Amino acid sequence: MAVAWTAANPATDPQGAWFEDITQKAGVAAKHTNRSFKNPYAQIMEGYTALGAAAAVADYDGDGFEDIYVTDSKAGGKNHLYHNNGDLTFTDVAEQAGVADGNDEANASADALWFDYNNDGRPDLFLVRFGRSQLFRNLGKGKFGEVTKQAGLDRYSNAITAIAFDYDRDGDADLFVGSYFQPVNIFDPDTPRFFPESFETANNGGGVTVFRNNGKGTFTDVSAKVGIKLSGWTLDLGHGDADNDGDEDLYVAADFGTDRFFVNNGDGTFADQTESAIGIDSKKGMNADWGDFDNDGRLDIYVTNITDDYMREGNFLWHNNGDLTFTDVARETGTHDTGWGWGGKFFDYDNDSWLDLYVVNGWVSAGKESYVPDIFTMVVRPGVDFADLRNWPPMGNKSLSGYQKKKLFHNERGQLFKEEATRHGLDSLRDGRGIAVADFDNDGRLDLFVSNANAEPFLYRNTLPTGAHWVEFLLEGTASNRGAIGAQLRLTAGNKTHFNFVNGGNGFAGQSTLRAHFGLGNSDTIDGVEVRWPSGRKQQFTKLAADNIYKLVEGNPRPALLPAKAGQK
Amino acid sequence: MRRTHLVFAALAWSASAILFNSWFPRAVQAEDAASVLPPLEAQLASDPDNLRSGSEYRRAVIRMGEYDRAIKFFEKLVADHPNAANAHLNYGFAYVDKVPVAGSITQVILANNALGEFAKSVALRPTWIGLYTRGNSYLYWPKIFGRASLGVADLEEAMKMQKADRKRRHHVRTYIALGDAHWKTDDLDKARAVWEEGLKQFPDHPQLKARLDKNGDDLQAVMDGVYDITKRIDTTLEELWAE
Repeated sequence: MAVAWTAANPATDPQGAWFEDITQKAGVAAKHTNRSFKNPYAQIMEGYTALGAAAAVADYDGDGFEDIYVTDSKAGGKNHLYHNNGDLTFTDVAEQAGVADGNDEANASADALWFDYNNDGRPDLFLVRFGRSQLFRNLGKGKFGEVTKQAGLDRYSNAITAIAFDYDRDGDADLFVGSYFQPVNIFDPDTPRFFPESFETANNGGGVTVFRNNGKGTFTDVSAKVGIKLSGWTLDLGHGDADNDGDEDLYVAADFGTDRFFVNNGDGTFADQTESAIGIDSKKGMNADWGDFDNDGRLDIYVTNITDDYMREGNFLWHNNGDLTFTDVARETGTHDTGWGWGGKFFDYDNDSWLDLYVVNGWVSAGKESYVPDIFTMVVRPGVDFADLRNWPPMGNKSLSGYQKKKLFHNERGQLFKEEATRHGLDSLRDGRGIAVADFDNDGRLDLFVSNANAEPFLYRNTLPTGAHWVEFLLEGTASNRGAIGAQLRLTAGNKTHFNFVNGGNGFAGQSTLRAHFGLGNSDTIDGVEVRWPSGRKQQFTKLAADNIYKLVEGNPRPALLPAKAGQK
Repeated sequence: MRRTHLVFAALAWSASAILFNSWFPRAVQAEDAASVLPPLEAQLASDPDNLRSGSEYRRAVIRMGEYDRAIKFFEKLVADHPNAANAHLNYGFAYVDKVPVAGSITQVILANNALGEFAKSVALRPTWIGLYTRGNSYLYWPKIFGRASLGVADLEEAMKMQKADRKRRHHVRTYIALGDAHWKTDDLDKARAVWEEGLKQFPDHPQLKARLDKNGDDLQAVMDGVYDITKRIDTTLEELWAE
């Protein structure tokens, strides 16, 4: 039983919008609500915690359709596990699955990550929280059980992001957790001094924790041992093999200070090569996504910062120079200004074989009055102690970088990007946070789920007209970690070689599909695909037809078409 | 290495003036701060109100990246000579000079400090350069601060002064900046009137023509380029003594 879906949709206008907002009819419109606090600093804190709207994609039940886990943040607010019914509708099964209760008086959901920590073929769920994060083991049959303590992951950390990849290539996915605030109880703080000590060089944040997967269902904190000792205000983590040497390197996007770039030494340790790779910055890093935007066979990195009329930081589009150095080409490519940027994701929405970019933005969209003068008044006060939150002005109902239009950058053959969000109906003004890219209807066109702070999310169905070909690959490791995170695919079609990789959660507040998607343009045949598995094994696959979703298993020479959901065929 | 950029207040002087003059000390180009800066500081200490000496010193400082040293020096200079209007002006420029190498929020602090020194200079002695500098610096602040109207006031005063003077080459700057200030306060008619008057005084001036030739988004793009805070602001003041 197999399926071969095609991208047929003759009703779509080739010159019109190629995305349709199906949030309501898909049944995924539950609103996110920011956390409000009940402590003496509540009014101030609420201006700086408009976070926690996140979405993570995985096919948790193995039925061939991608599902979505979506977080809320208010106390008592339920998180959602949207099971994909296979017809672009979803059913929230979080309660029966046992993963709905992520928010209480002492914990607020901030992000979520699917990863198969025990290599049983079922994606498990790591719920990232301000407070204590949780690991839920996928028990199968739609049920999950919390295993945080048994796994050795029970700790207070004010985490805001997590990714998983096998940094030591021992065959299981390790866990990298980024934390924003230092590990103080922000719900009931015993000190007012836990805000950033500086806007540019703050080192009193939560840093990064590396949990090595011991392979027996447990993890060990090896942060110092592997050479990652950070105390910055981490907002996002992204991994990729920058130098194509077979192991995964790490980009740390930090608010209020310097982003960091760590090179994997290949011996289970990392080297901080920030200065030589990307230089020392003092911006507000929010997002770290990796992708080969110029099809040169090397992974580049997109980082959002703050760009507004009062703060002209500009984003980074780090072009990979191939020697573990990067050059920022954001300005030259037209991708530098996305307002107060949050999640930014590479994806090929028109299947033309060039990675496009979607970027969401906006901090707080509230009243007409601006918060900018308030914050500047504090900033210019001589000798002000920024770490003491009592010095920060309450935001009240004011706006700060609010009502910003999202950006969809179409890749013009790796040289420039053309902004197309309005044309495609993707220019919402809500305060966007995360982007989860996936092919929810298995039609070869990548759809978007966008999480918004204090607002309903968006599910945008991609309705690209028929024409451009595509192929998707779901990889399963055997010697490698089961999810094949870190696997690289080099696909040759029409005398061109295209490059993609399997990432373990890159992008702020959004985890996208584990499938490697390729737009093939006019090429309807695939000459071959080389897979470099995380174990180091290389495999060639030939005689593949376009417009299919294949499952590739490490060591198995025969690709399989992804099994169809019952009734779909 | 990356640069950080941000909001700041400054005097935009001619880009061509970035090039050093032939009289610029050779030692500066060898970037030997220990030998170059002390004599310039000594000269300024003995003549604190000398705008040109301050300019020469700051140019050396920029070459050597000794921004904090310069700020400290001027801090002491104005403490020792609180009534030296041009010392305050140079002090403000020293803050502006550091902006391109500062982080985004530090840039705000530097800009605000610069504005404070420009204001002290004007309060002590309201010269054309003082008013022009402060007025122009207001134009770099985001609209939300409403400072462009303060810029209009200063630049109108500077305009009065230059109209009472003989025509000098650098007076074109007031026509440009005052028009820009009107544009930034959403009074396009007044902006155009000032630019047109400037064009009569300074025919074919490219910056005035660039503004008058554009409308709408195109004019906005011109302004965004002019007040692009990612560019180093030239504070050499070279045109003042070029005539």
